Amino acid sequence: MKKQEFINKLKEELEVEIEVTIDTSIKDLDEWDSLGAMILIAFVSDSFGVTLSADDIKNISTFKSLIERIGLEKFE
Amino acid sequence: MGATITKIEYFLPETILTNDDLKHQFCDYDFVNFENKVGIKSRHVVNENETALDLAIKACEKIFNDDTLKSDIDFVLYCSQSPEYFLPTTACILQDRLKLNKNIGALDFNLGCSGYTYGLSLAKGLIQSNQAKKVLLVTAETYSKFIHPEDRTNRSIFGDAAAATLISHSIDNNIGDFLFGTDGSGFDKLIVKNGGARNDFDLNCKIKDYGTGNKYTDNHLYMNGPEVFNFTAGVIPKFTKELLVKNNLKIDNVDQFIFHQANAFMLNFMRKRLKISESKFYIDLAFTGNTVSCTIPIALKEYSKKIKFSEKIMLVGFGVGLSWSGGLISINKSL
Repeated sequence: MKKQEFINKLKEELEVEIEVTIDTSIKDLDEWDSLGAMILIAFVSDSFGVTLSADDIKNISTFKSLIERIGLEKFE
Repeated sequence: MGATITKIEYFLPETILTNDDLKHQFCDYDFVNFENKVGIKSRHVVNENETALDLAIKACEKIFNDDTLKSDIDFVLYCSQSPEYFLPTTACILQDRLKLNKNIGALDFNLGCSGYTYGLSLAKGLIQSNQAKKVLLVTAETYSKFIHPEDRTNRSIFGDAAAATLISHSIDNNIGDFLFGTDGSGFDKLIVKNGGARNDFDLNCKIKDYGTGNKYTDNHLYMNGPEVFNFTAGVIPKFTKELLVKNNLKIDNVDQFIFHQANAFMLNFMRKRLKISESKFYIDLAFTGNTVSCTIPIALKEYSKKIKFSEKIMLVGFGVGLSWSGGLISINKSL
Protein backbone atom coordinates (compact mmCIF):
# COMPACT_ATOMS: atom_id res chain seq x y z
CA MET A 1 0.00 0.00 0.00
CA LYS A 2 1.20 3.51 -0.77
CA LYS A 3 1.42 5.90 2.17
CA GLN A 4 -1.09 8.33 0.68
CA GLU A 5 -3.52 5.50 -0.07
CA PHE A 6 -3.24 4.36 3.57
CA ILE A 7 -3.87 7.89 4.85
CA ASN A 8 -6.90 8.28 2.58
CA LYS A 9 -8.38 4.95 3.63
CA LEU A 10 -7.82 5.60 7.33
CA LYS A 11 -9.34 9.05 6.92
CA GLU A 12 -12.40 7.36 5.46
CA GLU A 13 -12.57 4.81 8.31
CA LEU A 14 -12.39 7.58 10.88
CA GLU A 15 -14.85 9.68 8.86
CA VAL A 16 -12.53 12.66 9.00
CA GLU A 17 -13.99 15.61 7.11
CA ILE A 18 -10.98 17.92 6.74
CA GLU A 19 -8.00 17.47 4.42
CA VAL A 20 -5.11 15.69 6.07
CA THR A 21 -1.42 15.28 5.24
CA ILE A 22 1.27 12.98 6.54
CA ASP A 23 2.11 15.66 9.12
CA THR A 24 -1.43 16.04 10.47
CA SER A 25 -1.72 15.14 14.14
CA ILE A 26 -4.25 12.31 14.46
CA LYS A 27 -5.20 13.19 18.01
CA ASP A 28 -5.98 16.80 17.14
CA LEU A 29 -8.70 15.67 14.73
CA ASP A 30 -12.24 16.39 15.92
CA GLU A 31 -13.08 12.77 15.19
CA TRP A 32 -10.38 11.34 17.48
CA ASP A 33 -11.70 9.56 20.58
CA SER A 34 -11.72 6.11 22.18
CA LEU A 35 -13.93 4.81 19.37
CA GLY A 36 -11.44 6.22 16.84
CA ALA A 37 -8.64 4.35 18.64
CA MET A 38 -10.56 1.09 18.27
CA ILE A 39 -11.22 1.79 14.57
CA LEU A 40 -7.54 2.60 14.03
CA ILE A 41 -6.38 -0.62 15.75
CA ALA A 42 -8.83 -2.72 13.73
CA PHE A 43 -7.86 -1.06 10.43
CA VAL A 44 -4.11 -1.49 11.00
CA SER A 45 -4.63 -5.10 12.10
CA ASP A 46 -6.70 -5.92 9.00
CA SER A 47 -4.41 -4.08 6.58
CA PHE A 48 -0.95 -5.05 7.88
CA GLY A 49 -1.39 -7.75 10.53
CA VAL A 50 0.21 -5.33 13.00
CA THR A 51 -1.21 -5.03 16.51
CA LEU A 52 -1.06 -1.54 17.97
CA SER A 53 -0.85 -1.62 21.78
CA ALA A 54 -2.30 0.93 24.19
CA ASP A 55 1.23 2.38 24.49
CA ASP A 56 1.47 2.68 20.70
CA ILE A 57 -1.82 4.58 20.69
CA LYS A 58 -0.48 6.86 23.43
CA ASN A 59 2.79 7.51 21.58
CA ILE A 60 1.45 8.06 18.07
CA SER A 61 1.10 11.69 17.05
CA THR A 62 1.01 12.34 13.27
CA PHE A 63 0.08 10.00 10.41
CA LYS A 64 3.84 9.87 9.74
CA SER A 65 4.54 8.52 13.24
CA LEU A 66 1.79 5.94 12.76
CA ILE A 67 3.33 4.80 9.46
CA GLU A 68 6.74 4.53 11.13
CA ARG A 69 5.24 2.42 13.94
CA ILE A 70 3.57 0.09 11.42
CA GLY A 71 6.92 -0.22 9.62
CA LEU A 72 8.14 1.70 6.59
CA GLU A 73 8.97 -1.59 4.86
CA LYS A 74 5.25 -2.35 4.70
CA PHE A 75 4.66 0.62 2.39
CA GLU A 76 5.55 1.03 -1.30
CA MET B 1 -28.82 -37.91 31.34
CA GLY B 2 -28.92 -34.48 29.80
CA ALA B 3 -29.43 -30.83 30.59
CA THR B 4 -31.56 -28.27 28.73
CA ILE B 5 -32.13 -24.54 28.96
CA THR B 6 -35.88 -24.40 29.48
CA LYS B 7 -36.54 -20.75 30.21
CA ILE B 8 -34.92 -17.32 30.27
CA GLU B 9 -36.31 -14.11 31.71
CA TYR B 10 -34.61 -10.78 32.15
CA PHE B 11 -35.29 -7.52 33.90
CA LEU B 12 -34.05 -4.03 33.05
CA PRO B 13 -34.22 -1.16 35.57
CA GLU B 14 -36.84 1.47 34.82
CA THR B 15 -34.52 4.42 34.22
CA ILE B 16 -33.47 4.72 30.59
CA LEU B 17 -30.42 6.75 29.65
CA THR B 18 -30.56 7.63 25.95
CA ASN B 19 -27.80 8.99 23.75
CA ASP B 20 -29.78 12.25 23.68
CA ASP B 21 -29.63 12.38 27.49
CA LEU B 22 -25.86 11.89 27.36
CA LYS B 23 -25.58 14.52 24.62
CA HIS B 24 -26.88 17.12 27.12
CA GLN B 25 -23.85 16.48 29.30
CA PHE B 26 -21.30 15.75 26.55
CA CYS B 27 -22.52 18.28 23.99
CA ASP B 28 -19.39 18.20 21.79
CA TYR B 29 -19.56 14.45 21.20
CA ASP B 30 -20.92 12.90 17.99
CA PHE B 31 -23.41 10.37 19.37
CA VAL B 32 -24.79 9.67 15.88
CA ASN B 33 -21.40 8.26 14.89
CA PHE B 34 -21.25 6.37 18.19
CA GLU B 35 -24.66 4.83 17.58
CA ASN B 36 -23.74 3.84 14.01
CA LYS B 37 -20.48 2.20 14.99
CA VAL B 38 -21.10 0.82 18.49
CA GLY B 39 -24.78 0.02 17.92
CA ILE B 40 -26.15 1.45 21.18
CA LYS B 41 -29.04 3.93 21.30
CA SER B 42 -29.95 3.70 24.99
CA ARG B 43 -29.24 1.69 28.12
CA HIS B 44 -31.03 1.10 31.41
CA VAL B 45 -29.40 2.16 34.67
CA VAL B 46 -30.32 1.59 38.30
CA ASN B 47 -31.22 4.42 40.65
CA GLU B 48 -29.17 5.07 43.76
CA ASN B 49 -31.13 2.72 46.01
CA GLU B 50 -31.45 -0.12 43.53
CA THR B 51 -28.98 -3.02 43.46
CA ALA B 52 -28.14 -5.94 41.20
CA LEU B 53 -29.96 -8.22 43.65
CA ASP B 54 -33.13 -6.12 43.28
CA LEU B 55 -32.94 -6.63 39.51
CA ALA B 56 -32.16 -10.33 39.97
CA ILE B 57 -35.23 -10.89 42.15
CA LYS B 58 -37.46 -9.28 39.53
CA ALA B 59 -35.95 -11.40 36.74
CA CYS B 60 -36.34 -14.58 38.81
CA GLU B 61 -39.95 -13.84 39.75
CA LYS B 62 -40.78 -13.86 36.02
CA ILE B 63 -39.45 -17.42 35.74
CA PHE B 64 -42.01 -18.91 38.11
CA ASN B 65 -45.55 -19.88 37.14
CA ASP B 66 -47.82 -22.95 37.33
CA ASP B 67 -45.31 -25.02 35.34
CA THR B 68 -42.20 -23.84 37.08
CA LEU B 69 -42.49 -23.94 40.83
CA LYS B 70 -40.10 -22.32 43.26
CA SER B 71 -40.03 -25.61 45.13
CA ASP B 72 -38.49 -27.32 42.08
CA ILE B 73 -35.28 -25.29 42.22
CA ASP B 74 -32.49 -27.25 43.88
CA PHE B 75 -29.46 -25.08 43.05
CA VAL B 76 -28.82 -21.35 42.59
CA LEU B 77 -25.78 -20.05 40.72
CA TYR B 78 -25.48 -16.29 41.08
CA CYS B 79 -23.01 -14.45 38.83
CA SER B 80 -22.22 -10.83 39.70
CA GLN B 81 -19.43 -8.36 40.32
CA SER B 82 -21.90 -6.09 42.13
CA PRO B 83 -22.52 -8.15 45.29
CA GLU B 84 -24.96 -6.94 47.91
CA TYR B 85 -22.25 -7.11 50.64
CA PHE B 86 -18.64 -8.28 50.96
CA LEU B 87 -20.27 -11.06 52.93
CA PRO B 88 -22.60 -12.91 53.09
CA THR B 89 -23.08 -14.57 49.72
CA THR B 90 -25.74 -12.78 47.67
CA ALA B 91 -27.15 -16.13 46.47
CA CYS B 92 -28.14 -16.90 50.08
CA ILE B 93 -30.13 -13.67 50.32
CA LEU B 94 -31.71 -14.46 46.95
CA GLN B 95 -32.80 -17.89 48.27
CA ASP B 96 -34.62 -16.22 51.13
CA ARG B 97 -36.10 -13.34 49.16
CA LEU B 98 -37.50 -15.77 46.56
CA LYS B 99 -38.59 -18.19 49.31
CA LEU B 100 -36.83 -21.10 47.65
CA ASN B 101 -36.36 -24.36 49.51
CA LYS B 102 -33.78 -24.46 52.27
CA ASN B 103 -32.31 -27.81 51.22
CA ILE B 104 -30.71 -26.34 48.09
CA GLY B 105 -27.23 -25.29 47.04
CA ALA B 106 -26.56 -21.59 46.44
CA LEU B 107 -23.32 -19.85 45.57
CA ASP B 108 -21.98 -16.65 44.05
CA PHE B 109 -19.34 -16.58 41.39
CA ASN B 110 -17.49 -13.44 40.44
CA LEU B 111 -17.12 -13.18 36.70
CA GLY B 112 -18.06 -10.51 34.18
CA CYS B 113 -18.68 -11.00 30.50
CA SER B 114 -17.58 -14.65 30.52
CA GLY B 115 -19.92 -15.44 33.43
CA TYR B 116 -23.02 -16.67 31.63
CA THR B 117 -21.25 -19.33 29.59
CA TYR B 118 -19.37 -20.43 32.72
CA GLY B 119 -22.70 -20.68 34.56
CA LEU B 120 -24.27 -22.87 31.87
CA SER B 121 -21.34 -25.25 32.01
CA LEU B 122 -21.46 -25.40 35.84
CA ALA B 123 -25.22 -26.04 35.74
CA LYS B 124 -24.72 -28.83 33.21
CA GLY B 125 -22.05 -30.35 35.46
CA LEU B 126 -24.31 -30.25 38.52
CA ILE B 127 -27.14 -31.90 36.60
CA GLN B 128 -25.08 -34.55 34.82
CA SER B 129 -23.34 -35.53 38.05
CA ASN B 130 -26.78 -35.99 39.60
CA GLN B 131 -26.32 -33.23 42.18
CA ALA B 132 -29.20 -31.11 40.93
CA LYS B 133 -32.25 -31.35 38.66
CA LYS B 134 -33.31 -27.73 38.21
CA VAL B 135 -30.64 -25.06 38.39
CA LEU B 136 -31.49 -21.36 38.54
CA LEU B 137 -28.63 -19.46 36.91
CA VAL B 138 -28.79 -15.74 37.65
CA THR B 139 -26.60 -13.02 36.18
CA ALA B 140 -27.03 -9.53 37.60
CA GLU B 141 -24.85 -6.51 37.04
CA THR B 142 -24.86 -2.78 37.78
CA TYR B 143 -21.60 -1.41 36.36
CA SER B 144 -23.24 2.04 36.23
CA LYS B 145 -22.53 2.31 39.97
CA PHE B 146 -18.78 1.93 39.28
CA ILE B 147 -18.47 4.41 36.41
CA HIS B 148 -17.28 8.00 36.94
CA PRO B 149 -20.00 10.51 35.89
CA GLU B 150 -17.53 12.14 33.46
CA ASP B 151 -16.46 8.86 31.84
CA ARG B 152 -18.46 9.31 28.65
CA THR B 153 -17.23 6.19 26.89
CA ASN B 154 -18.04 3.71 29.62
CA ARG B 155 -21.33 5.41 30.49
CA SER B 156 -22.25 5.07 26.80
CA ILE B 157 -21.27 1.42 26.57
CA PHE B 158 -22.48 -0.26 29.76
CA GLY B 159 -26.05 -0.86 30.88
CA ASP B 160 -27.50 -2.54 33.98
CA ALA B 161 -29.62 -5.71 33.88
CA ALA B 162 -30.35 -9.06 35.42
CA ALA B 163 -31.23 -12.35 33.74
CA ALA B 164 -32.53 -15.63 35.11
CA THR B 165 -32.08 -18.91 33.26
CA LEU B 166 -33.62 -22.22 34.21
CA ILE B 167 -31.53 -25.27 33.33
CA SER B 168 -33.38 -28.55 33.77
CA HIS B 169 -32.55 -32.20 33.80
CA SER B 170 -33.73 -33.78 30.51
CA ILE B 171 -33.56 -37.03 28.58
CA ASP B 172 -31.77 -35.47 25.62
CA ASN B 173 -28.67 -33.43 26.28
CA ASN B 174 -28.95 -29.94 24.81
CA ILE B 175 -25.89 -28.41 26.42
CA GLY B 176 -22.80 -29.47 24.49
CA ASP B 177 -19.10 -29.12 25.12
CA PHE B 178 -17.61 -26.00 26.69
CA LEU B 179 -14.09 -24.59 26.78
CA PHE B 180 -12.49 -21.97 29.02
CA GLY B 181 -9.63 -19.52 28.98
CA THR B 182 -7.92 -17.33 31.56
CA ASP B 183 -5.15 -14.73 31.42
CA GLY B 184 -4.81 -12.96 34.76
CA SER B 185 -1.81 -10.98 33.50
CA GLY B 186 -4.48 -8.67 32.08
CA PHE B 187 -6.24 -8.21 35.43
CA ASP B 188 -5.68 -4.44 35.35
CA LYS B 189 -7.07 -3.88 31.84
CA LEU B 190 -10.61 -3.67 33.21
CA ILE B 191 -10.66 -2.99 36.92
CA VAL B 192 -12.14 -1.14 39.90
CA LYS B 193 -8.91 -0.72 41.89
CA ASN B 194 -10.14 0.62 45.21
CA GLY B 195 -12.62 -0.63 47.76
CA GLY B 196 -11.52 -4.28 47.98
CA ALA B 197 -8.93 -5.87 50.27
CA ARG B 198 -5.87 -4.63 48.33
CA ASN B 199 -6.68 -0.91 48.22
CA ASP B 200 -9.04 1.03 50.48
CA PHE B 201 -11.76 3.19 48.98
CA ASP B 202 -10.11 6.63 48.86
CA LEU B 203 -12.28 9.65 49.63
CA ASN B 204 -9.63 12.01 48.22
CA CYS B 205 -8.95 10.03 45.10
CA LYS B 206 -7.25 11.95 42.29
CA ILE B 207 -9.19 12.41 39.04
CA LYS B 208 -7.41 10.89 36.04
CA ASP B 209 -7.94 11.47 32.33
CA TYR B 210 -7.91 8.79 29.65
CA GLY B 211 -6.59 11.33 27.15
CA THR B 212 -9.84 11.41 25.19
CA GLY B 213 -11.69 13.65 27.63
CA ASN B 214 -12.99 10.70 29.65
CA LYS B 215 -12.33 10.89 33.38
CA TYR B 216 -12.07 8.30 36.16
CA THR B 217 -10.50 7.72 39.56
CA ASP B 218 -9.14 4.53 41.11
CA ASN B 219 -12.45 4.24 42.98
CA HIS B 220 -14.17 3.89 39.61
CA LEU B 221 -14.22 1.43 36.75
CA TYR B 222 -11.20 1.75 34.46
CA MET B 223 -11.05 0.10 31.06
CA ASN B 224 -7.99 0.05 28.84
CA GLY B 225 -9.99 0.05 25.59
CA PRO B 226 -7.14 -0.68 23.14
CA GLU B 227 -5.80 -3.59 25.20
CA VAL B 228 -9.26 -5.10 25.77
CA PHE B 229 -9.89 -4.82 22.03
CA ASN B 230 -6.56 -6.47 21.22
CA PHE B 231 -7.21 -9.28 23.68
CA THR B 232 -10.62 -9.95 22.17
CA ALA B 233 -9.48 -9.68 18.56
CA GLY B 234 -6.41 -11.83 19.24
CA VAL B 235 -7.97 -14.57 21.36
CA ILE B 236 -11.67 -14.99 20.59
CA PRO B 237 -11.70 -15.88 16.86
CA LYS B 238 -9.12 -18.63 17.51
CA PHE B 239 -11.03 -19.78 20.60
CA THR B 240 -14.24 -19.99 18.55
CA LYS B 241 -12.49 -22.28 16.07
CA GLU B 242 -11.33 -24.49 18.96
CA LEU B 243 -14.93 -24.64 20.19
CA LEU B 244 -16.10 -25.79 16.77
CA VAL B 245 -13.49 -28.58 16.76
CA LYS B 246 -14.41 -29.58 20.32
CA ASN B 247 -18.06 -29.96 19.26
CA ASN B 248 -17.19 -31.63 15.91
CA LEU B 249 -18.77 -28.85 13.91
CA LYS B 250 -17.90 -26.51 11.08
CA ILE B 251 -19.12 -22.91 10.90
CA ASP B 252 -21.82 -23.96 8.41
CA ASN B 253 -23.28 -26.49 10.89
CA VAL B 254 -23.96 -23.82 13.50
CA ASP B 255 -27.31 -22.03 13.11
CA GLN B 256 -26.42 -18.96 15.12
CA PHE B 257 -23.43 -17.48 16.89
CA ILE B 258 -24.28 -15.43 19.96
CA PHE B 259 -21.21 -13.72 21.36
CA HIS B 260 -21.12 -11.47 24.40
CA GLN B 261 -22.62 -8.21 23.11
CA ALA B 262 -19.63 -6.00 23.90
CA ASN B 263 -20.06 -3.49 21.09
CA ALA B 264 -21.20 -3.83 17.49
CA PHE B 265 -17.90 -2.67 15.97
CA MET B 266 -15.85 -5.28 17.83
CA LEU B 267 -18.42 -7.99 17.12
CA ASN B 268 -18.36 -7.25 13.40
CA PHE B 269 -14.56 -7.24 13.43
CA MET B 270 -14.58 -10.79 14.84
CA ARG B 271 -17.43 -11.89 12.58
CA LYS B 272 -15.40 -10.90 9.51
CA ARG B 273 -12.26 -12.60 10.84
CA LEU B 274 -14.26 -15.81 11.29
CA LYS B 275 -16.02 -15.39 7.92
CA ILE B 276 -19.47 -15.83 9.45
CA SER B 277 -22.40 -14.32 7.54
CA GLU B 278 -24.35 -11.48 9.16
CA SER B 279 -27.52 -13.59 9.28
CA LYS B 280 -25.82 -16.19 11.47
CA PHE B 281 -24.19 -13.75 13.85
CA TYR B 282 -26.37 -12.03 16.44
CA ILE B 283 -25.81 -8.34 17.09
CA ASP B 284 -28.36 -6.35 19.03
CA LEU B 285 -27.47 -4.14 21.92
CA ALA B 286 -29.31 -1.05 20.74
CA PHE B 287 -31.58 -0.64 23.76
CA THR B 288 -29.60 -2.37 26.49
CA GLY B 289 -25.92 -1.63 25.82
CA ASN B 290 -23.25 -3.95 27.17
CA THR B 291 -24.90 -5.54 30.21
CA VAL B 292 -21.81 -7.65 31.05
CA SER B 293 -22.85 -11.22 32.02
CA CYS B 294 -26.46 -10.49 31.00
CA THR B 295 -25.89 -9.81 27.29
CA ILE B 296 -25.90 -13.47 26.20
CA PRO B 297 -29.10 -14.53 28.02
CA ILE B 298 -30.89 -11.38 26.82
CA ALA B 299 -29.73 -12.04 23.23
CA LEU B 300 -30.59 -15.73 23.50
CA LYS B 301 -34.12 -15.02 24.71
CA GLU B 302 -34.71 -12.47 21.96
CA TYR B 303 -33.20 -14.70 19.26
CA SER B 304 -35.19 -17.74 20.44
CA LYS B 305 -38.47 -15.95 19.66
CA LYS B 306 -38.05 -16.92 15.99
CA ILE B 307 -36.86 -20.49 16.56
CA LYS B 308 -39.20 -23.08 15.00
CA PHE B 309 -36.98 -26.18 14.84
CA SER B 310 -34.05 -27.25 16.96
CA GLU B 311 -31.09 -24.94 16.36
CA LYS B 312 -27.44 -25.28 17.28
CA ILE B 313 -26.24 -22.07 18.88
CA MET B 314 -22.67 -21.28 19.80
CA LEU B 315 -22.22 -18.96 22.78
CA VAL B 316 -18.96 -17.15 23.54
CA GLY B 317 -18.31 -14.82 26.50
CA PHE B 318 -15.13 -12.80 27.03
CA GLY B 319 -13.88 -9.88 29.08
CA VAL B 320 -12.78 -8.79 32.55
CA GLY B 321 -10.27 -11.11 34.21
CA LEU B 322 -9.16 -11.56 31.53
CA SER B 323 -11.51 -14.49 31.18
CA TRP B 324 -13.33 -16.23 28.36
CA SER B 325 -15.53 -19.26 27.90
CA GLY B 326 -17.97 -20.66 25.41
CA GLY B 327 -19.93 -23.68 24.35
CA LEU B 328 -22.63 -25.13 22.17
CA ILE B 329 -26.30 -25.40 23.08
CA SER B 330 -29.41 -26.58 21.25
CA ILE B 331 -32.70 -24.71 21.53
CA ASN B 332 -35.97 -25.77 19.90
CA LYS B 333 -38.46 -23.20 21.18
CA SER B 334 -38.97 -19.64 22.30
CA LEU B 335 -37.44 -19.36 25.74
